[in-house]
Amino acid sequence: MSEKILKALMQLFAIIARQDVGLSSRERDFVEGFLKQQLSEIAVSEYLNLFDDYVAHDGKSSEEKDRTEVKLTSVKDSVKTLGIAKKINRTLTQKQKVVVIVRLLELINSDKNFTPQRMAIIDTTAEVFNISRQEYKAISCFVIRDKSEELDIPEILISQSHTTSNINAHFIHTPYLDGKIIILRVQSVDLYFVKYTGKSELFINGLPLKTNRIYNFATGSVIKQPTGKPVFYTDVAAKFISDTAETNIFFKVENVDYTFSNGVKGLENINLFESSGKMVAIMGSSGSGKTTLLNVLSGIENPSNGKVIINNTNLHSEKKKVKEIIGYIPQDDLLIEELTVYENLYYSAMLVFRDQKPSHIADKVDNILTSLGLFQIKDLKVGNLMNKKISGGQRKRLNIGLELIREPSVLFVDEPTSGLSSRDSENVMELLRELTLRGKLIFVVIHQPSSEIFKMFDKVIILDEGGVQIYYGNPVEASIYFKKIDNQINSDVGECPKCGNVNPESIFNIIESQIVDEYGKSTGTRKVQPYEWAKHFESFFKPEAIKKSIPKLPETFVKQGWFRQASIYFRRDLNSKLSNKQYILLNFLEAPVLAFLLAYIIRYINDPESGVYIFRENANIMPYMFICTIVALFTGMIVSAEEIFKDRKILRRESFLNLSRSSYLLSKMSILFMISAIQALLFIWVGNNVLGIKGMYFEYWIIFFSVSALANVIGLNISSAFNSAVTIYIIIPFLIIPQMVLTGAMFSFDRINYNLGGGREKVPLIAEIMPSRWAFEALVVNQFINNDYEKYFFDLRKLESNLNFKNVYYIPELKGYIETYKSKLHAEEQNPISDKDIQLLQNEILKENNSFLAQYHQITFENTELIKPESFNHQTAKEILVYLNKLESFYRENFNKINQQIDRQISEMVNSPEKRNKYQQWYDQHYNSHLATFVKNTYAPLPLIRLGNTLVQKIDPIYLNPTSRHLLDFRTHFLAPNKNLAGRPIPTFYFNLAILWLFSVLAYIALYYDLLKKFLLLFKKREVTIQTSKKQK
Amino acid sequence: MKYRKTKMEIIKQKHIIMKKQKIILVILSVLLVQVITGCQQGQRQEATDLLSDSFKDNELRLNDAMIREMISSVPNPLEITSVLQKTGVVYSQDLLNPAGNINNYNTNFQRALNLGVYGTDLIYMNIYDRTVATLRYLSNIRELASDLRVEQFFDYNTLNRLSESSKNVDSVLFITNTGFDRMTRYLIDQGRSNIAILISAGTWIESLYIATHAQTTPANKEIINKRIGEQKKVLDNLLLLMNSYDHNSDFNHLIEDLKSLKKQFDNVTITYQYAEPSIKESDGMLVVVDNSRSIVDISDETIKNITREIALLRNRVIE
Repeated sequence: MSEKILKALMQLFAIIARQDVGLSSRERDFVEGFLKQQLSEIAVSEYLNLFDDYVAHDGKSSEEKDRTEVKLTSVKDSVKTLGIAKKINRTLTQKQKVVVIVRLLELINSDKNFTPQRMAIIDTTAEVFNISRQEYKAISCFVIRDKSEELDIPEILISQSHTTSNINAHFIHTPYLDGKIIILRVQSVDLYFVKYTGKSELFINGLPLKTNRIYNFATGSVIKQPTGKPVFYTDVAAKFISDTAETNIFFKVENVDYTFSNGVKGLENINLFESSGKMVAIMGSSGSGKTTLLNVLSGIENPSNGKVIINNTNLHSEKKKVKEIIGYIPQDDLLIEELTVYENLYYSAMLVFRDQKPSHIADKVDNILTSLGLFQIKDLKVGNLMNKKISGGQRKRLNIGLELIREPSVLFVDEPTSGLSSRDSENVMELLRELTLRGKLIFVVIHQPSSEIFKMFDKVIILDEGGVQIYYGNPVEASIYFKKIDNQINSDVGECPKCGNVNPESIFNIIESQIVDEYGKSTGTRKVQPYEWAKHFESFFKPEAIKKSIPKLPETFVKQGWFRQASIYFRRDLNSKLSNKQYILLNFLEAPVLAFLLAYIIRYINDPESGVYIFRENANIMPYMFICTIVALFTGMIVSAEEIFKDRKILRRESFLNLSRSSYLLSKMSILFMISAIQALLFIWVGNNVLGIKGMYFEYWIIFFSVSALANVIGLNISSAFNSAVTIYIIIPFLIIPQMVLTGAMFSFDRINYNLGGGREKVPLIAEIMPSRWAFEALVVNQFINNDYEKYFFDLRKLESNLNFKNVYYIPELKGYIETYKSKLHAEEQNPISDKDIQLLQNEILKENNSFLAQYHQITFENTELIKPESFNHQTAKEILVYLNKLESFYRENFNKINQQIDRQISEMVNSPEKRNKYQQWYDQHYNSHLATFVKNTYAPLPLIRLGNTLVQKIDPIYLNPTSRHLLDFRTHFLAPNKNLAGRPIPTFYFNLAILWLFSVLAYIALYYDLLKKFLLLFKKREVTIQTSKKQK
Repeated sequence: MKYRKTKMEIIKQKHIIMKKQKIILVILSVLLVQVITGCQQGQRQEATDLLSDSFKDNELRLNDAMIREMISSVPNPLEITSVLQKTGVVYSQDLLNPAGNINNYNTNFQRALNLGVYGTDLIYMNIYDRTVATLRYLSNIRELASDLRVEQFFDYNTLNRLSESSKNVDSVLFITNTGFDRMTRYLIDQGRSNIAILISAGTWIESLYIATHAQTTPANKEIINKRIGEQKKVLDNLLLLMNSYDHNSDFNHLIEDLKSLKKQFDNVTITYQYAEPSIKESDGMLVVVDNSRSIVDISDETIKNITREIALLRNRVIE
């Protein structure tokens, strides 16, 4: 109580005491007692003197003129009262004013001298104080009356051992209590006052509660009696509020069983029924299934049997409907450590409320922070457990705040006090307890609660090993219940008669007590098995019936639209990333440093004596492209591999918000893409510059970026599917190494296992699913075809190569079959040509008829149907030979033409020394001979090979147009210059780029539906069924 | 205050994000433009244009059979270089065309000539068992042949493997020599006699260059000089072959150079003495021996002049 109130009180006390009969000794005693209650010994006498002074000031004159000037004096005092009251009005808050009125009334009540003058003064004061008539009436009623009948108004709560016939007043049953505890609620200022009429020794918050004295019943107060249940602030408040806040949630659990995936029983036959405004503890020894129960009740896990029903809606089968009214606060932190306390709450709130302006939400956040007592630290980063910035209690409160802000109707809290000091624990629990006043239903898993906390709960569920429910009811009675069964003395006393403590440990001591052998050592066998407890419980427990009609589910908040959600997620993520300087620095330095190291190492100078770097002669350009691909994969995956994993707890909570997963994922992806794009830019810029790769920045960048982006999405997939950081980093090599092997750079596709498709016409199927192969091919093909030098000659050289191949290898090969046939025929051999060879000839001639060159030479073989084993004869062979010779001369002549044309072009370019120099420079800077060797497959052991009944070109793949068998056949040989899409040739670069993004889209779909996780679960389930079936055998 | 600050920050971030979005937009549009123009570039020159782009093929050609015969009169490098080895000529690295020069050869003309040059060098080195150094020459030959689109005659893998050991020298020499022979024949068949002629010219020029610059005893020098003098006939044939391509400026330059070389060779006189062939027993078999001789008369002055001319010519070829 402040000095101001005290002074004002002393003055008012004095005025009132002076009236009529004057100061009685009782009244003075009251004042003294009141002061003693508030102040130290010295201060008491000081204020008492002040009081005496005030009384004495006008005392004499009043005594003298006692009889004649009664009214006059009272008028004078009235004026004085008015003056003081008005003065008080300016300095005291409404709450303090109510306290003053209560004290004034208490003063008069001390000697029951209710003269009209005295009452008039108090009335005036109350009026000046703007206290409503009704409340003033209630206050005076509470102060003056003692009898139940007289106290029958809704502002009063009576707590006693026997019931009353009161209709309006609230009632709390307190067995063994002598007299009654009367509590007044002044609703306008949310104050509670208490007085006690009995003779027992009661304590309010540890201080003695004197009979007929009025005490402030502050938030969190508790009145303890020697025996029996204490009266908690929350209980009292709940009684008053239950009228205002309607019960709107009925939470019913029927016969719930839960079996773990490995077949072990987690929960067995759980039943409970709760409604709004309750706080329920879930207790049990470790491993008894507390958290499992919480998970099943909150809908995270599905029960294997039974159901959980919230207001007629099945939680598990109609999850979508009820999801949003459920809040879940896991034991672990849900905070984003890089963000501040404020930001954590702010983004959480932003995600939840749509209709409100940011400023509105900011106000709301500030309010919550104030009520959590976190306002002072709102700009601190939360940090992590290793690097603490805020205390454990603050973290916990903030975690609760995240849920509070959207006010779910049912809240599940897992071990909110673990790791907290007892003071912090109590704070947190009081916070939760207050929530029940607002009609929330709260389930709390709690381990070893203190007596204080234990008694805060309305109900407690006790589980025993194997998830067996062995108690469900009042916490204090739990102790009595188990003691009774255990046949202990004092079994009817729930708590310590002296200190009022209930020791929840003692309950578990009884439940788990073990049989002792003759030496007093415990044998490890329990006295009472869980199922025996369960039996006891079943006979004891009678399920409550639902009395009221079941209301509809409460309305939930309105969510943000998709785009807003995404933008909030985006900002939240971006903010948390930007605030981590180390992360930003490392990520953006990694790429250029790696690029520099790599490029500088492979900056090979062919002629060390000259010391001049010539791009054309650098043998490492192809490997550089390969490394680019791998680095892109690596950086992309590393940057994303922990993203969702890191957020998983937050996601678990946010899953109750029914937020859009796609908005979360896309916002995440866009940030990762941004990082990857910048990394790609830095890497390519540095790498290409060091190696002297001219003018291909964009192409390199887009490929690097696309691979990184894909790796980002793949990384997100892993981080969403696996549940530990170590697993994630073990998985990464599994994803990268096959991609390295099957890129086509390290191992030629011609020389990998034939069973996997090696050495065939087209890229092996297994490599087709490797993004690295598409990226690498795009880079290589683009670098070769589109470099500033080759792009002038590419089309000519391609044609030259096609003609040359036909002329030098292909036609002679075909002719070889005919010539062999002829010579064998001549030698009169039995079977001059095999059916397979005939088939080959037919295939190839058909192919030749349809080749793109056929439209120019117009040389076709019409009677292809004759090339069949049954009709193949000397004549056919002759015709084929004629045909082939014609083709050959066409190819030869045109090859010469093209060859000379190219030569003329180049000759012109070098026909003077200056031009020649220029040409040389141009050539040296843009063309890479080693890459050319690679794309032309110069060292192929065979220029063409026979596969089955077809011939396949192996040299010059870069100049070979792929053929497709049907419209959707887009597969080609490696390093084809273009690919066919629905019969139209698309440059390989663009085609491969499209494929990479197609992969990304597929990976995104997998991510969206969490396919990888589902797949892994499938695997796990199978494993389990195998194990169990083995066991059964 | 602090709250306001966060608000400001949020607004600022919004700006940053918007800016970033703009950048992304720009990048995307650039990408789009690139894709569109890229597609257009893709349809650069149609094969039709290339094929129908006929050029005047009115070269007055010699008959293929004649060309073949005349080219075969050009001694292959093995013939000349083995003479050098037998006459105790010391191997000299300096005489070779540096392997690095390959970068200078951009046209078919240069490539063909230097394919011949490198071929001679390769054989010269192999005769003297310089197997390690041959690898680069082998790859040069392979590269030039590949550029000329006649790579099929040099199985690089085999040659590479063979040249790793000096035991295989004979095989390398054989494959290279026959490779050159087959290549020239093939080129003539393919209507690319000009390339064939140039390759032969290259081998001949390089052979002559090495022969003229070889260091040995005076007695041996005599034998070598005689062989040099015999090249008069070969040069005449080469000039004859080349004359049909004199409309080409490159050829023209070469012809001019060869002509000035020929001027020096004009000072060489070769007299042919006929004698009855006789029959001799050798290894239990009867062999016909040609007893005719050609007498080469070549002065030291002429040798000097030829040496000077050929060096000029050869260095122009390889530059």
